[in-house]
Amino acid sequence: MTGPAGAERPGLVYTLAVPYLLLGLIAGFAAVERKGFLQAMLSRPIALAPLAGLALGDAMGGLVVAAPLELFWLGAVNMGAALPVHEALGTAAIAGGAVLAGQALGTGVTPQVAILAVLCCAPLAVLGRKTDRLVEIENERLAARAEDQLRCHHAAAAARQNVYGLVLPFAIAGVLAPVGAALCGQAVPVLLRDAPSVETPLTLAWWAFTGVACAAGAKALRARQAGWAFGATAAAVLVAGLVLGGRP
Amino acid sequence: MTPRLGLPTRLRVFWRCLFIQAAWNRRGMQNLGFAFAIDPALRRLYPDPARREEALARHMGFFNCHPYMAAAILGGAIHHEEKVAAGQEPGAAALDYKATLQGPLAAVGDGFFWTALRPFFGAAAAAGAIWLGWPAVVGALMVYNLIHVALRWGLFRAGYEKGDGVVADIARLALPKLADRLRLLGAALCGLAAGLLALQAGASAAGGWGALVAVAVAAGGGYLALSRGAPLLPAAYAAALAAAVVAMLVGHGTGST
Repeated sequence: MTGPAGAERPGLVYTLAVPYLLLGLIAGFAAVERKGFLQAMLSRPIALAPLAGLALGDAMGGLVVAAPLELFWLGAVNMGAALPVHEALGTAAIAGGAVLAGQALGTGVTPQVAILAVLCCAPLAVLGRKTDRLVEIENERLAARAEDQLRCHHAAAAARQNVYGLVLPFAIAGVLAPVGAALCGQAVPVLLRDAPSVETPLTLAWWAFTGVACAAGAKALRARQAGWAFGATAAAVLVAGLVLGGRP
Repeated sequence: MTPRLGLPTRLRVFWRCLFIQAAWNRRGMQNLGFAFAIDPALRRLYPDPARREEALARHMGFFNCHPYMAAAILGGAIHHEEKVAAGQEPGAAALDYKATLQGPLAAVGDGFFWTALRPFFGAAAAAGAIWLGWPAVVGALMVYNLIHVALRWGLFRAGYEKGDGVVADIARLALPKLADRLRLLGAALCGLAAGLLALQAGASAAGGWGALVAVAVAAGGGYLALSRGAPLLPAAYAAALAAAVVAMLVGHGTGST
């Protein structure tokens, strides 16, 4: 940067704060979209990870983790009273953390960065399930308040209580995702700089994770012959690719 | 004569129907969402505030259905409320309609949309992203949402126009049979993704045969472990750890990148 120090400050604040703010907004919107509003797959990892990456300036970096995370959490579905893991919160933090770490290292999102981001931030999806329970308790209060308002002849206000149910999930994901991403963005570069010898093991760990993710996707589909369809297609693609494309 | 709601009011109800789970809770489940969605229709049908409140209170009772299929019940509930407002039916008719349909339609919706159509498009988008990049993701999401919004609006309209007759329309769609096919195709798409990832791993600079084998073994072993009830997240950590340890043991972890 050039110019007097005083003129640099707003630029620095802008550079530091705005991406986190954007990531928080995207994560918050995703948390709302996955259950409270629309459910158009915009909060699924395949859509959310590139968007989270875009917020931090690297959509393609987000796309690196998008497909494995989508398959990994393919079975995370809100059905009735069942509470699945919060795949949107986990995805926003993982994609954000991977992009931040890649930027800090100057390498972009490599397999080593991606697997460390997954290992660091995936537990946030489990934490998100616990916060979803808190949201349900708060929503019971909203329902009780709506009934009170209807008794007081405030019909419009009673109906409106429904929309207030969007606030808490938005706020929780909007805070936790940038915090998780920021911590991951700090920790991963330190680890990779201090222990360069783990790069190859981490690369293989990433590829192993993608294999488990594909298996998790096939398992989540619960088709009668899912195992055969999964295994046969994978083997056919692999053999065809090796025959046509040669040895790796 | 039964009063009919205009298109703007129906559009408002449909828009609000997209928020049906906004305040989902364990006591009334989608009760608040249903009341919020139907409120614009009740305001039109019951100019008398007391009757409107009575109608809104009716719809604040327990309700739970699949959020897409709830559109059909919402349309049907308005169909019945029009008759209630005209004095052709008792107030309980709309509630009976909701109570009868919510369970069966929830089962059909969960079985088709949540465990077949959406995972199928998720797998298609993921495999497409690995093979073709982001345009495949955009394409898959657009097709999914064309189907999703068209079905949601179609169900709402059918419920409104036909009332109880919407059940025959839904049965005609044969969703359970279609769901079976989508699940099998989805599993094949996961296999396609695994094969593509293995090839990608093998071709990558830091990969080679080791990475290809890691994907293949983790995919096969992971499927077997998950089929035997292994929890997902620990299985992923175990696979990553095992791959890293094997890489170190066979001498890959000696500083080469």
